[in-house]
Amino acid sequence: MTAKCSRETYETKSDEELVQLSIADVDAFYFLIKRYEPKILRYIRRMTGSKPDKAEDILQEIFLKVYRNLNSFDPTLKFSSWVYRIAHNEMINQYRKDKQTSGTVSLDDTDEIDLSAKLIYDEDIHKTYVYGETAEAVKKALQSLPVKYRDVLILRYFEDKDYNEISDILRKPPGTIATLLNRAKSKFKKIARQYQLDSPL
Amino acid sequence: MTDISKNTLDKIKKENVHPIPRHYFLFKRSVLWILFGLSIFFGSIASGIAIFLLTRVEWDVSHYLARSFIGFLLLVFPYFWLIFLLGFSIFSYIFFRHTEQGYRYKTAWIVLLSILLSIVGGALLHATKLPESLERVCEENVPFYHGLGKHRHKMWMSPHQGLLAGEITHIRSGAIIELEDLNGMKWTVHTGDAIWRGNLSPSENLQIKLIGQMKGDGQFVAYEIRPWEGQRHRGRIQRNRRMGTYR
Repeated sequence: MTAKCSRETYETKSDEELVQLSIADVDAFYFLIKRYEPKILRYIRRMTGSKPDKAEDILQEIFLKVYRNLNSFDPTLKFSSWVYRIAHNEMINQYRKDKQTSGTVSLDDTDEIDLSAKLIYDEDIHKTYVYGETAEAVKKALQSLPVKYRDVLILRYFEDKDYNEISDILRKPPGTIATLLNRAKSKFKKIARQYQLDSPL
Repeated sequence: MTDISKNTLDKIKKENVHPIPRHYFLFKRSVLWILFGLSIFFGSIASGIAIFLLTRVEWDVSHYLARSFIGFLLLVFPYFWLIFLLGFSIFSYIFFRHTEQGYRYKTAWIVLLSILLSIVGGALLHATKLPESLERVCEENVPFYHGLGKHRHKMWMSPHQGLLAGEITHIRSGAIIELEDLNGMKWTVHTGDAIWRGNLSPSENLQIKLIGQMKGDGQFVAYEIRPWEGQRHRGRIQRNRRMGTYR
């Protein structure tokens, strides 16, 4: 039996170390949940647009799955990618179960400005967007995207994941991720025009 | 605000949830790799038989049967085994794709690599004569496959193109033999200028293939005479006749 560590010791451990500790001691898992709770909750809300209660239920289900599958964690992956992968799969399951629920994409105002700024400075985006667009319009534009495109845009521009991380999360080759992202950007631009987000600078 | 971390931990404890044992995942991964390996192995058998069939093709008669080499290749290509090879390559792709890191590689690369591995495996198996034995088993026991073999043999039933196959029924003299072809038709064959390949000498009931020229109804002048697919295929014509597959 592993001797229990103090709170400070747990907090300084790496994700991978906490995984090993959690397998032997469930209390160590608390610190992993704590570490990822805000990020995954935001990801869920951005992806599903669920109300807070529903998002928290999904989050709890995700962490239960993470805990059950701790022994399948491949240390060659980043732990965060693995957690996001489980979260992504769980949301797809929820989406299939609950197709009639059409939540809106949850974006804070800062999120909306972030996305616009990132898209503006993205070298692949030639057309630019004015800063004055409303959060509501961006929400609607994202909402109109098919899930696969919304997913890559959110992972790339909101969760700040690089291509390899997105590849690990979505279990697709990095080349496919690049293609998917390009298509997502052009789809987003097209839809954004409908919401008048594309006035040239 | 609810403490999700604490609630989740409480739920884990209350419902007595435990991590699934490591050996379960190890078993799952091993099964995937074994299935991948088996797909490559069966793909290798398919390509081994295809290689065997291609080595048995008499390329030098191509100009009798097709206008171009490509045309002949299309005629003799072992499509049946090629379909099997592709099928097993798709299976191996599916199994590989589900391994831990399998998703990182492009579909085309995985399928291509599977095909290459199967071809290399097939070449190695070909050296062991296993594909040859399996092909014989298929030909003798699988009616559909037997039909494909019949189609291959029928290529030699093109007397107008200078190809003929059958069994010697009577030797009239050193230069004339009587032959019953695969369709049961009687032929008088002039063999005076013919080259007998494979240490053959004329004898009754001998199954042969002939290259030459048709000189009229039931008359054929042979330039070259070959054994009917080697020693192991002796008796096949009779069996085929019994089964009525050449009629």
